Amino acid sequence: MDDQGCPRCKTTKYRNPSLKLMVNVCGHTLCENCVEMLFVRGSGNCVQCDTPLRKSNFRVQLFEDPTVDKEVEIRKKVLKIYNKRDFDFASLREYNDYLEQVEDIVYNLTNNTDVENTKQRMEQYQRENRDVIQRNKAKLTREQEELEELLLLEQQGNEQRRLEVLQEEQRQLQAKRKNKQALLDELEQSHVPAAILLAKHKVRAAQLETQIEQQKQTVKPASLFSTGIHMNQTVSLQPLPRIEEVLYQYKPLQVETYGPPVPELEQLSRLGYLNHVRAAMPQDTAGGYTSALACHRAIQDAFSGLFPQRG
Amino acid sequence: MKLNIEGLLVYFPYDYIYPEQYSYMLELKRTLDAKGHGVLEMPSGTGKTISLLSLIVAYQRAFPLEVTKLIYCSRTVPEIEKVVEELRKLMEFYSKETGETNNFLALALSSRKNLCIHPEVSSLRFGKEVDGKCHSLTASYIRAQRHSNPNQPVCRFYEEFDAVGRQVPLPAGIYNLDDLKDFGRRKGWCPYYLARYAILHANIVVYSYHYLLDPKIADLVSKELAKKSVVVFDEAHNIDNVCIDSMSVNITRRTLDRCQNNVDTLQNTIQKIKETDAAKLREEYRRLVDGLKEASVARETDIYLSNPVLPDEILQEAVPGTIRTAEHFVGFLRRFLEYLKSRLRVQHVVQESTPQFLKDIFDKVCIDRKPLRFCAERLQSLLRTLEIADIADFSAVTLISNFATLVSTYSQGFTIIIEPFEDRTPTIANPVLHFSCMDPSIAIKPVFQRFQSVVITSGTLSPLDIYPRILDFRPVTMASFTMTLARTCLCPLIVGRGNDQVALSSKFETREDFAVIRNYGNLLLEMSAVVPDGIVAFFTSYVYMENIVASWYEQGILENIQRNKLIFIETQDAAETSMALEKYQEACENGRGAILLSVARGKVSEGIDFVHHFGRAVIMFGVPYVYTQSRILKARLEYLRDQFQIRENDFLTFDAMRHAAQCVGRAIRGKTDYGLMIFADKRYARADKRGKLPRWIQEHITDGSLNLTVDETVQLSKHFLRQMAQPFRQEDQLGLSLLTLEQLQSEEMLKKITQIAHQT
Repeated sequence: MDDQGCPRCKTTKYRNPSLKLMVNVCGHTLCENCVEMLFVRGSGNCVQCDTPLRKSNFRVQLFEDPTVDKEVEIRKKVLKIYNKRDFDFASLREYNDYLEQVEDIVYNLTNNTDVENTKQRMEQYQRENRDVIQRNKAKLTREQEELEELLLLEQQGNEQRRLEVLQEEQRQLQAKRKNKQALLDELEQSHVPAAILLAKHKVRAAQLETQIEQQKQTVKPASLFSTGIHMNQTVSLQPLPRIEEVLYQYKPLQVETYGPPVPELEQLSRLGYLNHVRAAMPQDTAGGYTSALACHRAIQDAFSGLFPQRG
Repeated sequence: MKLNIEGLLVYFPYDYIYPEQYSYMLELKRTLDAKGHGVLEMPSGTGKTISLLSLIVAYQRAFPLEVTKLIYCSRTVPEIEKVVEELRKLMEFYSKETGETNNFLALALSSRKNLCIHPEVSSLRFGKEVDGKCHSLTASYIRAQRHSNPNQPVCRFYEEFDAVGRQVPLPAGIYNLDDLKDFGRRKGWCPYYLARYAILHANIVVYSYHYLLDPKIADLVSKELAKKSVVVFDEAHNIDNVCIDSMSVNITRRTLDRCQNNVDTLQNTIQKIKETDAAKLREEYRRLVDGLKEASVARETDIYLSNPVLPDEILQEAVPGTIRTAEHFVGFLRRFLEYLKSRLRVQHVVQESTPQFLKDIFDKVCIDRKPLRFCAERLQSLLRTLEIADIADFSAVTLISNFATLVSTYSQGFTIIIEPFEDRTPTIANPVLHFSCMDPSIAIKPVFQRFQSVVITSGTLSPLDIYPRILDFRPVTMASFTMTLARTCLCPLIVGRGNDQVALSSKFETREDFAVIRNYGNLLLEMSAVVPDGIVAFFTSYVYMENIVASWYEQGILENIQRNKLIFIETQDAAETSMALEKYQEACENGRGAILLSVARGKVSEGIDFVHHFGRAVIMFGVPYVYTQSRILKARLEYLRDQFQIRENDFLTFDAMRHAAQCVGRAIRGKTDYGLMIFADKRYARADKRGKLPRWIQEHITDGSLNLTVDETVQLSKHFLRQMAQPFRQEDQLGLSLLTLEQLQSEEMLKKITQIAHQT
């Protein structure tokens, strides 16, 4: 890091630790002083590649390799235009092809190959997809959303934990104080020898400690809606893929009871079964209960399994 | 002898068995029956390895369809060799008893450095060099080039192996590393590739932890191992740290510089290839457009162990368009690299979570999360396409790309800490980016998911319940076994005060206290007078040891100690330490013995055994807490608290006590061995510390030995040592702590045995 320096005035980081290196769009470095000197009028040409530059475009160099600075700059610009998300594509394959295309553009611009053509392509794309670009401006990619969500969770978790610890401490302190006060009161009023009281107190204090430990409980913050969908999740606008399958055919359930056939619910009273069960009281019938129901169930219970299966 | 363990016939190659071994096998069998995972603690020196091996081998023979393979993971090469020797003994016993040659194949696997037999390559000193050189001789495209250019050097061992070796399986038998090398020399095959190929159909594989836990290596070596395997992690008390280390990445300025060189080389190579052989790049491009389908199919069909660096969702998608072509990818790497460089230029410590990092990287250099996630995979593909021979040179850029993938994949369990300088040297700029894993379960998860039984075992796993929590799995058995002893051969003593009643402690406030240091010195001096042969003393850190020893020197204590015994010191230099160890053992063999001053968590405390007279007493000066001010540790503690509800103090104490137990456990390596364990810190007497020691040590701590003075300690030690020094024959143990088959089958013994296992 120390051998980095300004190519013009040859000052290095080693000799001047407060040296500030700046980078412009062409990816060539200059130190702050040189920038001030060369670009007094607000614009000028790069010392190394003669690209016309503006002073306002100079940024502090973040990385050791100035081309990376340049690339990041370009990339940010390109990504502003090429901001389609994965849910704008029908398949992952298409999305990946698109990503590669973006990457190609950035690569070309950074390495100064085929710049004119690439710029044209970008402009064309921008014209064609103006509304998509507008729409996606505020949206994050799904991955970023997940990240944001995680960060939020983490913050919440930290905050909650801090509060819990604080509360816990206070509660403990109070409990201990109370315990101590109780001991003093007892010593004052009771006729039992002090040694026994003290021993009792000791036991109680130990119990209190264990109680406090047991009280630890963790409350998880909610990150899900009750439907199971994550909060803040974007729902895709793509139509749901249709699933082509054979339609479901209902087949009535066949229950093998291994017993004599159970009389129908309606026939119970006719066959006299209901004479042997408690008649339904008016308050029972309010909820839709009839004595036939209970009777029917009891008969089912009794009849099933009467003829054990052979073998 | 032949044992019947709940209906399973187990051949045990010794005439006698310890009751706890029987109990251990019982628990192990239940674990295997349940096809679940287990945590088992048994004291060192009670024959864990042979119990494990004989039971699992018997199980494999009885139910060959249920358990097809045993994967035994150990830590060091000597330990691996030891396991193989035990196995050999067992197999000899089998063939002697059954009279038939069994077709068991068991082998050890280690790195190329330990297995290479190529005369030039094997003479290289560092593992990395060997790997790189080997790769430059055996890579597929190098060998393809040889067809057109016969002068291209290749490894003849590998060629031979590739031509014939794969068709002929390795004959059944037990192979340690040397056996493999011999076999390789005889046949002219490369032992390393032979072993790697053979583990796929071997019955037992013995290798290091890293082959399963380190995602980069596991992907190469272990991903095709059968699902119905039993995995054993021996000496697993440190397994969480191994997991964490294998997932963490540290990036320094030097890494970035080397990475810059790598990227430049990549770019040049791409340029060159573009001019000469553009078709190759086009072919790769076509492959990437179609996505990583190949790998995905393999994983779906469940052939491979999953890899935490290669998350599942990557396999289902194609490589994003932003990094599809080689130039774009190099540009991408360059941007990422510059971003990292700019981050390393900080003036103060920064700690942030992975989402924060990802947001920042998007704002600064417009890198999305998705391409980052594919970075490691994309780089591998590029390296393959460019046919770069010496992969070792590209370790820096591989590291960076792994970092990129991890950081974008896991939003939890990791933290990023950027420190502009080290804590100890705040004036020297040495920026480091720690991408530290805080959740050991991430690395070990694939293992638990894939294999039907995973057994974690060690001499010191107490408290047992913390391991399932931090590794995030559900064991079916958790048991701690005690040592049944014919005589109490261990004597743990807690020294809390000096003769002048000054409380002994290594806590921060009394670190510099002369009274404490003097009393510590006194303790060592007195012990050196009463204990015969070797004494090992452990300190909490190198710095603390230096301080104390300097102070002892000034006070003339060292001189007094040297009248009794020679003193050796462990240093941070490995060569020096092994020299000191060697001389220490020599001194113990003849003369009045010696004292070894070493450090908990150091090399000596982890891997070296002090059998019999090499360690008659272990003194633990202070409680070996980790350096608690480290930011990585703080972040991890916070994470443990939030995710697993383990309190900071609990974890710190747990960690300190497992290291203390590890240290003092060095002295007792068997039932005929005996030794003093002196804990010189009054904090050990507290229930929360004591309760975290392994049960087999805890049971011997009596209430009377909780807060001793130096004098009392000396009295007790004298008594203990005199008792222990009496002749002790095997007959004395028989029936109590050593059983014959008849004794084992007796009713009351079986009743006793059921009490040994302490279920939690």
